[in-house]
Amino acid sequence: MGEENPRIGVFVCHCGLNIAGVIDVKELTEYAKTLPDVFYAKDNRYTCADPGQDEIRKAIKEHKLNRVVVAACSPRMHEPTFRKTCAEADLNPFFFEMANIREFSSWCHPSTPKEATEKAKDIVRMAVAKARLLRPLKEIEVPVTNKALVIGGGIAGISSALDLAEMGFRVYLLEKAESIGGHMAQLDKTFPTLDCSICIEGPKMVDVGRHSNIEIISYADLVSVSGYVGNFKVKIKKKPRYIIADNCTGCGECRDVCPIEYPNEWDVNMGVRKAISVPFEQAVPLVYTINLDHCIECYKCVDACGARQAINFDQEPEEIELEVGAIIVATGFDIYLPYDDPLYGYGKYDNVITALEFERLILAAGPTGGKVIRASDGKKPHSVSFIQCVGSRNLKKYEYCSGFCCMYALKNAILLKEKYKDDVEVYILYMDMRTAFKGYEEFYRRARDLGVTFIRGRASHVIEDPETKNLTIRAEDMTLGQPIELPAEMVVLCTAAVPKADAGDLARRLSISRGSDGFFMESHPKLKPIDTPVDGIFVAGACQAPKDIPYSVSQGSGAAARAATILSKEKWKIEPIIAEVNPELCRNTKVKCGICAERCPYGAIEVLEKQPAKVVTAMCHGCGTCVAECPADAITQKHFTDEQIFAQIEEALKEKPEGKILGFLCNWCCYAGADLAGTSRFEYPPLIRPIRVMCSGRVDRDFVLEAFRRGAGMVLVGACHLPYDCHYISGNWKMKTRMDALTPMLEKLGLSSQRFRVEYVSAAEGLKFAELMREMAEQLKELGPEKIEAENAKLKPILDRMLAKKLPQRVQQVVQQKAPQ
Amino acid sequence: MTTPEKANSTPKSSKFLLFLGCAIPYRVSSYEISTRKALAELGIELMEMPEYNCCGLPIDPVNHEMMLTLAARNLCLAERQGLNVVALCPGCAGTLRKVNKKLKENKELKEKINGYLKETGLEFKGTIEAKHILQLLVEDVGLEKIKAAVKKPLTYLEVTEHAGCHVTRPAEAVSFENPENPEALKNLIEATGAKYVEYIDKIACCGAPIAGVNDRIPLQLTREKLVHIRKAGAKALITVCPFCHMMFDTNQPRIERMFNETFKIPVLHYPQLLGLAMGFTPEELALKDLRVDTTHIVSQIIGKEEGD
Amino acid sequence: MSKANPKVKVKSSKTDEKVTSTPSAKPLSQKSEEKTLEISATAPIKAHEFDPHFKYEISKMHGGEKLMQCFQCGTCTSDCPIARFSDSYRPRTLIRMTLLGLKDRVLSSETLWLCAACFTCTDRCPQDVEVASVIRILRNTAVERGYVPLVFKELGSSILETGIAYRIPDLRLKKREQIGLPPLPKGNPEAIMKLANVTGFSKMLKKGEQA
Repeated sequence: MGEENPRIGVFVCHCGLNIAGVIDVKELTEYAKTLPDVFYAKDNRYTCADPGQDEIRKAIKEHKLNRVVVAACSPRMHEPTFRKTCAEADLNPFFFEMANIREFSSWCHPSTPKEATEKAKDIVRMAVAKARLLRPLKEIEVPVTNKALVIGGGIAGISSALDLAEMGFRVYLLEKAESIGGHMAQLDKTFPTLDCSICIEGPKMVDVGRHSNIEIISYADLVSVSGYVGNFKVKIKKKPRYIIADNCTGCGECRDVCPIEYPNEWDVNMGVRKAISVPFEQAVPLVYTINLDHCIECYKCVDACGARQAINFDQEPEEIELEVGAIIVATGFDIYLPYDDPLYGYGKYDNVITALEFERLILAAGPTGGKVIRASDGKKPHSVSFIQCVGSRNLKKYEYCSGFCCMYALKNAILLKEKYKDDVEVYILYMDMRTAFKGYEEFYRRARDLGVTFIRGRASHVIEDPETKNLTIRAEDMTLGQPIELPAEMVVLCTAAVPKADAGDLARRLSISRGSDGFFMESHPKLKPIDTPVDGIFVAGACQAPKDIPYSVSQGSGAAARAATILSKEKWKIEPIIAEVNPELCRNTKVKCGICAERCPYGAIEVLEKQPAKVVTAMCHGCGTCVAECPADAITQKHFTDEQIFAQIEEALKEKPEGKILGFLCNWCCYAGADLAGTSRFEYPPLIRPIRVMCSGRVDRDFVLEAFRRGAGMVLVGACHLPYDCHYISGNWKMKTRMDALTPMLEKLGLSSQRFRVEYVSAAEGLKFAELMREMAEQLKELGPEKIEAENAKLKPILDRMLAKKLPQRVQQVVQQKAPQ
Repeated sequence: MTTPEKANSTPKSSKFLLFLGCAIPYRVSSYEISTRKALAELGIELMEMPEYNCCGLPIDPVNHEMMLTLAARNLCLAERQGLNVVALCPGCAGTLRKVNKKLKENKELKEKINGYLKETGLEFKGTIEAKHILQLLVEDVGLEKIKAAVKKPLTYLEVTEHAGCHVTRPAEAVSFENPENPEALKNLIEATGAKYVEYIDKIACCGAPIAGVNDRIPLQLTREKLVHIRKAGAKALITVCPFCHMMFDTNQPRIERMFNETFKIPVLHYPQLLGLAMGFTPEELALKDLRVDTTHIVSQIIGKEEGD
Repeated sequence: MSKANPKVKVKSSKTDEKVTSTPSAKPLSQKSEEKTLEISATAPIKAHEFDPHFKYEISKMHGGEKLMQCFQCGTCTSDCPIARFSDSYRPRTLIRMTLLGLKDRVLSSETLWLCAACFTCTDRCPQDVEVASVIRILRNTAVERGYVPLVFKELGSSILETGIAYRIPDLRLKKREQIGLPPLPKGNPEAIMKLANVTGFSKMLKKGEQA
């Protein structure tokens, strides 16, 4: 298989009406038949379904096809599906190429079916050109370290850790705070059962602490993660507690004698803790910590500790390194503190508090012993109003709905009524009551039965009486149709759930993405809500999106199952899309070079003196940066070779190139963003011809030059956002440097500046991509074909000369590579 | 939101076209008189704006494009002279600012309005800026210079402000400071040495814009504000808008009669307060044009002088 | 913005609760406000009154782009200075009637003219609906149908004559001279008239006379 003469089969998918409703699939199929080396072309209603796949397998056998092109949805959707189909028909799965005519044509050009079909023809022709040059590749197998890292010890993380441990895998549970438990341990009761929160979570926490397969690493931060699925190397820094954990029995005698108190963050700064203490009684691990910011080093604790000698003021931070096969991110959420919004008076008015502060008040083990009292006078309020949607569902703050606030407002209202009966009047000011899940609607009725008053109307303004410190809430009672001024002795703000402040930092260290709302992004919101685009890293719990406890627990278990699919294997298959150096072309044998090793974001290239550079296969992530950087063009990237890309450029610009935009889009961000534009049905003019690369770092400046040499109207390089979003760490920076040097040269040669664009589009920015396309199309129209052709005519001879030196070399490389692997 | 110190990055000017609008030359000369005195003392040169027309806000409910065109015409006249515009009425200032911004950002709209303006030989280019006098004082003069110009700090006077609506709203279009927590006028009042007093619902509207259609509501609104102001113990109220001023000053006796209240709270334009602190006499600042008697505060100033 | 027209003496009744305005304007008396309550609350709203295209029309106009994002939370009405002192003026209800397409009811309503354009609603709307702008668009549309409160006609005709919204008496101009203020710049009524014709403003003003 994989002999000299390609026999290509093209399968055009209708995808129901998703493609066929806009693109003339019959015309496209007939067109495919006319392409050289295409021996078979067929259209199909649903190619990914069994019958469709069957057809492909049959056709491969019958017509002796050795290359397959499926013109359908995005390769990010079904490339793995069809690769398997080919493998099942005994065809090397890397002889498969996908032509994206759904997200990239039918879905985003619905009003221009003719142009969409022409674009689809171009895309198919480009895919066929690449298919001709594909080589068979074998998946690389790497050993798997069957241990897991769970980052975050909240209820989701605890859930994952316990499940994985029960399955028999060793789990490291990394927790930033002194104790595991997360926000759930701060709550009083949980809805809708009104179980005491710590009573149900506590035993789980103890299980985690006791489990022989779980090692809790608490009061520690994640420093770095390197490696790849099955083989992650994790660096962690443990902060000094100044306590020797093994010696500490958690007896608390040190705390009893400590003279210093400071605000306890666990009590949302409403209560105090000692300079040597645990944050709360049920902390796991039950090890004390000294806060040196407040400790006066009187050493009374050392005396109290006595023979146990658990205190060590000389303790230093400790760095440890772990090897794990899979990572689960369960870092949770924080709440929005509306200090910046003067309309609610939070931070100014004594009796306006957040819901989390309310939990700590009504909690029996809280700083007031369970008494709900006002900060201004320490008295019980006779009326408490809960204001919903503070910061949520607000385009000026957080657009999304935080999901659990309706339910916890009901819970707190019910707790107040059950505790104080008719002594306290409770109001909830809401826009909608969202009580969708099991037992939730019944909970709502319970609240009404107890006499909680529900006012449909978003509170916009809280005013304080400077003498009594009572509050007046301005809202419109929409059901009455009257603006009201509701008096309240205490106001509880149910504020938005927001991503943790260091979420961006963590995302960078793990190379995972965040959505436009700041929460970690899943691979697919419907079908892969727990995977991230990085193989081997999973998300669970509120760090992916705000959710309640049952949902978090479910996701935690789900993440454990997903991680187990990796950890349960001895070996894991990695895509062989890696770089390879041609030793005969490498310059380092003659002159000291090493540029590839220097530019590789992973340090995966070895360069020894007078030796050709060598790529360490297992460490290469396949970004292709070295390929573009090599001054001797001595490196290729398998499955994304220079020839294949040049062939795609040639086909894209075969007809009327001056009216086309040639786009090099990076797989993880820009290509995904363009896919999203299609999925969201944002329409834009059909001028772009996309070429997918794994990383923008792969985009050689010669590609850009070749594109203009062939007369492209505009060229776009689409990458992940700077500074930290690149999935290969810094491929986008290398691309930027490269293009920053190229741009002035092109402009000096007479190229209008609008014709060459470098843009940064994330996977969540479908709208931005569509708007970029519209903007570029308009600029292209403004420039006009005459001007472009004139500039191209001037450029061509110069570019011909520049590229002629390189192209023969490439041809030679192709000849060499045709030898079977 | 910008704090007065960190406001606009546009370079400071000392020469402005004065946009008088319609109400001030008609009924509220005291605002104009005191402004000219105070700004001259601060080194700001005010040029007259020839041929200006109404900013357009009063007839916006009738025809929006006419409002845009009227405002744009004024901006074109200013562009011709290459000077920024300062308006004393926030309605004018807000409208000119809003229209300036909208036309700069929305190409289609600009083309449409320029199509109308062509009939009179004008073209909007978007080269100048329009400001309310508060913005001018904060950005182009600066609090330090104002403090330095104060010769008789009004330290014995307890004063509060009616913040007004169009100086800051809508926040996105006017982009001056946070309407929910305005600080410019507060800082300017404190710069005169006067003691600033807070009161409930400071940022509420006075209702003046609909007085021509229904005057019961604005009078009730203004009365409620006066009640809060009285409760907070302020001895004078400062405004920066001719209509708000009319509501609080000209209508105060009527409100007192209608609702059986006693306020006797003098209402000064900010330049009058500043002028007093700078050492101008009450006559120079047209204090006698105010309807609510100001002798009480004035005598305090004179008393201070004599007592020194 | 409509201002108290000082030319006409405002009659205030002894019992201060009755609404009065310039007698020459459409009187919005207590009775008339009740009528308005009636207009917006007469039950049932009949099938023929719903015009679903109305919201698309309004949202196409400058300032009304985000109209359909409104989810009726009531923030605009909660702190509206006018709504707090009026029995029937509710910005939220005007938006609601527009979204439902109750074209006749909303355009003929008298409370439509009670908005003070203070922009508190626009500033606070969590869905970025420019509430005050939508009300302005409704007013513009009502004017096309011939509903123009008299005060606007007076302001409008003054603008066409002199360029500014009030006719300033000679006495005032003389007084400026006396106290040493620079003379008021002369307007350019021809230019204003040209603009009024080309924008359709003069036509709108005339419509009011037919109503």
